[in-house]
Amino acid sequence: MNMFLQELKAYQKPTIIWSISIVAIVILFMALFPAFSRDADEFMKVLEGFPEELTRAIGLTFETLTNVLGYFSYAFLYIKLCGAVQAMNLGLSIVSKETRNKTAEFLFTKPVTRTQVLTSKLLAAVTSLLFTNLLFLFSVIVTVEIVKTADYSRQGLWMIAASLFFLQLIFLGLGMFTAVFIPRVKSVISVSLGLVFAFFIVGMISSSTDDEGLRYLTPFNYVNDYYIIEHLNYEMQYIGIGLAIICLTVILSFVIYRKKDIHSV
Amino acid sequence: MNVIEINHLTKVYGKSRGISDVSFQVKEGEIFGFIGPNGAGKSTTIRLLLSLIYPTSGNATIFGKDVVKYASEIKKEIGYLPSEVFYYDNMKVKDLLKYSASFYKKDCTKRIKELAEIMELDLTKKIDDLSLGNKKKVGIVQGLLHEPKLIILDEPTSGLDPLMQQRFFDLLEKENQKGATILFSSHILSEVQRLCDRVAIIKEGKIVQVEKIRTLKENNYKKFKLETISELDFNYFKVDGVNQLKIVGKTVSFIFKGNINTITEKIANIEIANLWVEEPDLEEIFMHFYQREE
Repeated sequence: MNMFLQELKAYQKPTIIWSISIVAIVILFMALFPAFSRDADEFMKVLEGFPEELTRAIGLTFETLTNVLGYFSYAFLYIKLCGAVQAMNLGLSIVSKETRNKTAEFLFTKPVTRTQVLTSKLLAAVTSLLFTNLLFLFSVIVTVEIVKTADYSRQGLWMIAASLFFLQLIFLGLGMFTAVFIPRVKSVISVSLGLVFAFFIVGMISSSTDDEGLRYLTPFNYVNDYYIIEHLNYEMQYIGIGLAIICLTVILSFVIYRKKDIHSV
Repeated sequence: MNVIEINHLTKVYGKSRGISDVSFQVKEGEIFGFIGPNGAGKSTTIRLLLSLIYPTSGNATIFGKDVVKYASEIKKEIGYLPSEVFYYDNMKVKDLLKYSASFYKKDCTKRIKELAEIMELDLTKKIDDLSLGNKKKVGIVQGLLHEPKLIILDEPTSGLDPLMQQRFFDLLEKENQKGATILFSSHILSEVQRLCDRVAIIKEGKIVQVEKIRTLKENNYKKFKLETISELDFNYFKVDGVNQLKIVGKTVSFIFKGNINTITEKIANIEIANLWVEEPDLEEIFMHFYQREE
């Protein structure tokens, strides 16, 4: 418990900053919706001039864009990007922080097992993500209610917004797994930005080409917002893969972390 | 009873560093010195004992329990002070010590106060703002606050001023009298000589010798220095047992180990102006170990 609280405190500041940023993106995007829906026809005309591959890649689909839900799912692409970076940062940090800040000798000479250490850290990270997600969900519901022009499917909105947490857990796992392999992570943010953007770009390519094979490679596309809008359901095979990735990366991280040599400065 | 037992412990990292086939025992209640130059494998051995790293082969036990298998259990009774101390920067000294104490199931508040007073440590400061010496003090308090049965110190005195060093040594001696066993690693011989009962000498990852400090010093090592009336043939004192022979003008100096009569006979046969016979300090004996193997 002492380690959990200590870790929670250590990530308090970044968690608050990330949460505020994500909420700010939500408010910013949703605040533009009234103006957007007013001029939707003209906007559509401009968009029609764009190549279809491009509009698909950046998450614009004409049929749904004038609806508040469709509009939100467009904004959600960028929120997912933010959330993924936050989760990856956490995943990398919880594993590499002690070696980077050279406090490993303090923590690992205490009467605790490595499993206990990593469990506390993981729980603290998940708690931080939960905090972010609660704020996010709250801000989404409030802003969508304010700006909506017509009725929309509440269930669809919930299902889309809740998938942020799922995506973040995948990136948390990936971050941990990456950090147990890299002997010394010098800068968390550069590793995490690099990896997250790589996945994001693969996601854009996969969206624009509708390549099913490529879609398996990027957690960004495991939940398809337009599929949810149409069917009010997740695509279970992708959810399954996501869950498998979470379990596998977390379990492997624990196994390796327990056996790893903690090198000195 | 042996508190620490190390059996053929080997750690290979890549090609160069590491230790090979290290074995020695530390008995209950003794202050055991672990000595060798930088990079000889002192820290590697200690990190293996604390299971920060895992052995390639061989094993070690502390309190009779395997250090890998029972790592967390053993550590309840170990206090460790690393050579370089790093703590969570944004914490206050008090908070860090509280955090450290929270890992042990006993109330350490009184003890923290006591230790901080002895070491003159300001508990209200931020760790970030502390000097190297003061950080070291945090390390000392942190390592001793739970009254461990085994204290492991890795070059503990760097950064401490002589007065604090003195207080720290007094503190260690007091803990030792209360029954704590101490493993003290250092490359500074005088402090080991002062504090320790026995010593293991490590060189290039291998134990060269384990000896009682007293034996090491009394082992008929004598330091000779003499002034002759006339200049001497360099080879005159080149007999078995003579080491570090130096002749500068009419001054001759060397360290001798063996039957003292062979040397007194030699000296009797020449005219001398002056003669000093001294106990060599550990450093000189130590140099002898190192040079012999080169």
